[in-house]
Amino acid sequence: MKALLSRFRHLVLVDFEFTAPDGECPQPICLVAKDLASGQVWQLWQDDLQALSTPPYPSGEDSVLIAYYASAELGCHLALDWVLPSHILDLYVEFRNHTNGLTLPCGSGLLGALAYFGLDSIGTADKDAMRALALRGGPWSADEQAALLAYCASDVQALERLLAALAPHLDVPHALHRGRYMVAAARIEHTGIPLDGPALRRLREYWEPIQARVIERIDSAYGVYDDGHFRAARFAGFLAAQGIHWPRLPSGALDLKDDTFRDMARAYPVIAPLRELRATQSQLRLSDLAVGQDGRNRCLLSAFRARTGRNQPSNSRFIFGPAVWLRGLIQPQPGWGLAYIDWSQQEFGIAAALSKDPLMWAAYLSGDPYLSFAKQAGAVPAEATKRSHASVREQFKACVLAVQYGMGAESLARRIGQPAIYARELLALHRHTYRVFWAWSDAVLDYALLKGTVWSVFGWTLHIEANPNARSIRNFPMQANGAELLRLACCLATERGVRVCTPVHDALLIEAPLADLEAAIATTQQAMQEASEAVLGGFPLRSEVTQVGYPDRYSDARGQRMWDTVWDVIEELA
Amino acid sequence: MSFEQFDLNALRLSQDYAELAGVRKLLTTVPVRKPGPQDFFRVHPDEAWRLQTAVIEVKEDREVYLVSPALREELIGEFVPVALYTAINRQKITFLWPVKLPGPDGRHNRWHQSAMEAAELAMTRWLRLQANMALGAYELFAAAGSLEDPQWPEVGFAELLRIAFRDRFIDSLEHPVVRRLRGEI
Repeated sequence: MKALLSRFRHLVLVDFEFTAPDGECPQPICLVAKDLASGQVWQLWQDDLQALSTPPYPSGEDSVLIAYYASAELGCHLALDWVLPSHILDLYVEFRNHTNGLTLPCGSGLLGALAYFGLDSIGTADKDAMRALALRGGPWSADEQAALLAYCASDVQALERLLAALAPHLDVPHALHRGRYMVAAARIEHTGIPLDGPALRRLREYWEPIQARVIERIDSAYGVYDDGHFRAARFAGFLAAQGIHWPRLPSGALDLKDDTFRDMARAYPVIAPLRELRATQSQLRLSDLAVGQDGRNRCLLSAFRARTGRNQPSNSRFIFGPAVWLRGLIQPQPGWGLAYIDWSQQEFGIAAALSKDPLMWAAYLSGDPYLSFAKQAGAVPAEATKRSHASVREQFKACVLAVQYGMGAESLARRIGQPAIYARELLALHRHTYRVFWAWSDAVLDYALLKGTVWSVFGWTLHIEANPNARSIRNFPMQANGAELLRLACCLATERGVRVCTPVHDALLIEAPLADLEAAIATTQQAMQEASEAVLGGFPLRSEVTQVGYPDRYSDARGQRMWDTVWDVIEELA
Repeated sequence: MSFEQFDLNALRLSQDYAELAGVRKLLTTVPVRKPGPQDFFRVHPDEAWRLQTAVIEVKEDREVYLVSPALREELIGEFVPVALYTAINRQKITFLWPVKLPGPDGRHNRWHQSAMEAAELAMTRWLRLQANMALGAYELFAAAGSLEDPQWPEVGFAELLRIAFRDRFIDSLEHPVVRRLRGEI
């Protein structure tokens, strides 16, 4: 606490109650805030809030706003058109960082955090009842208003207790850096992703009959469905006829997990439409997709939710969920354009930069690390090109990705459609070629097992429990620092005025009026480069751009067949 | 907003886990054997990494014992003179390869001759060694690709010897191997 008090004149604990219908920005109901330094408390109902043009509490350079999952509070600032605070301390993020990797008996919500430190909290039943009352929407009676304000105040008191418990564990500069991202996250959640509203309405209208007909259409090439249900026995027959050796479970049954389908679809493209259909069937409920009245997809980014510190938005509420074809709904508004800007071979570049492996970095700089790896390993001549040695390059690419995902020889063999011994040799070539990287990777694992933690460059920490997964630990620096790159790029881009619709793993989707799109792309690419240099100690990573101008739509080749089939079916039905 | 004032360099934490962990791999096992028929291997080119010495092979146990120089006169006829080469395969396993030296008559059989040639050639290139019974000698296969040079262990040759023979060093006539050869046990 001393570190905070010595740095800031005001430590302002803030909690809003708000409604947030699916896909909409939060609408504040009431606010309770308390300045820990002065003891001053603010309690304001929504009419009072809307009458203010600035926050009632200090929000400048000498103050820090303290909240639990702050993008919600900051979303309320944006909804009220208030200035955003200069500094954020998000106790959710800091509690996640303090316990990341550990098993938490009561989860990582505010109640879970209080329970973790043995602190008193409002009862779960009360919290659920108050949440329901807020979500019900107005008007609220005088008693209900008093109850909601009292509930809001109890959360602020809980925040105060939690801050006292967390304070000895806080690394304030890094915590404020993470808080900075919550401002970007609030802006991004506020912006949302523009969708083709009429197309979505048609999809929803015809969704039931579409599903049956799409199954019929796609299954005509496979014959594995019966009465709308996937049949494993029929699928086994299809595989036998195609000569595809499919992984099996220890029980002998076919392994039908989506990950397996994804791997096999890469090795055998004939499987891809079937995988897309199964993902759509099992994971897509169109009604869950969170779309506001303005036709924008908005949902919590769930920042810092993953162990790696990456965002983990809901699969069913987020347009970038597993049903890839649905991304065809993404369309800029009239007169605007979208740009999908992703880092080229981000994880390979991170691995090269952090491990300081000169051969790996040379391969990254070549622009085609997969072909360079094949050349460095002596598998192709120095003059080989992507065209002259396409199949070898694909195998070396699969090997690089396999190493990044911590995949074993069996999985790699499946992915490249080759015997396991060939995959083992490829993996051995990676170890031989990139010795410096492997020595560093071994050291990451050694350190984690010895000391019980590993961290990203800006302090996102993984705590190691019993029975650690060595592959996850080795992969942590690439993933956690990849998350740092993305967060910092989001911060820089949004702070420079770019409208970021969403981050997607190693990419940013931005929008701008068509006349300004090139400039917005340049600003974003500059932000992404600066972020990579900051995270990787001066190493710049490249980025690539895909642009879409209205009336065109975003598309992903992996889902094109499904998209076309769905719209053919809608034409038939209409 | 003050965010551009964040000093990212000052926030950056080290990712040099090797320095932080201070862990190094320990060499605890050094096999004494010839290269496997499916192993590509290299031989250390430095003279300091080989030794002409005497060993006793216990064939039924497939074990090789190093004989103390002080006992050689007593054990003439039991030991064989060998050159112990330091070798390493593609799996980074370091081993000592005993190649038989010519007998008292100075003659080499073709097996030993071809093994000696292989050891010489493997100092500069990756080789595979395969017995050809019809030929009565080893056939040598050189790796076609331009493979990188091996990484030799950080410990010295003396330490390799100590690890390889720590339980298999005959320094007394009371050693069980000697007593077995004499029919005493």
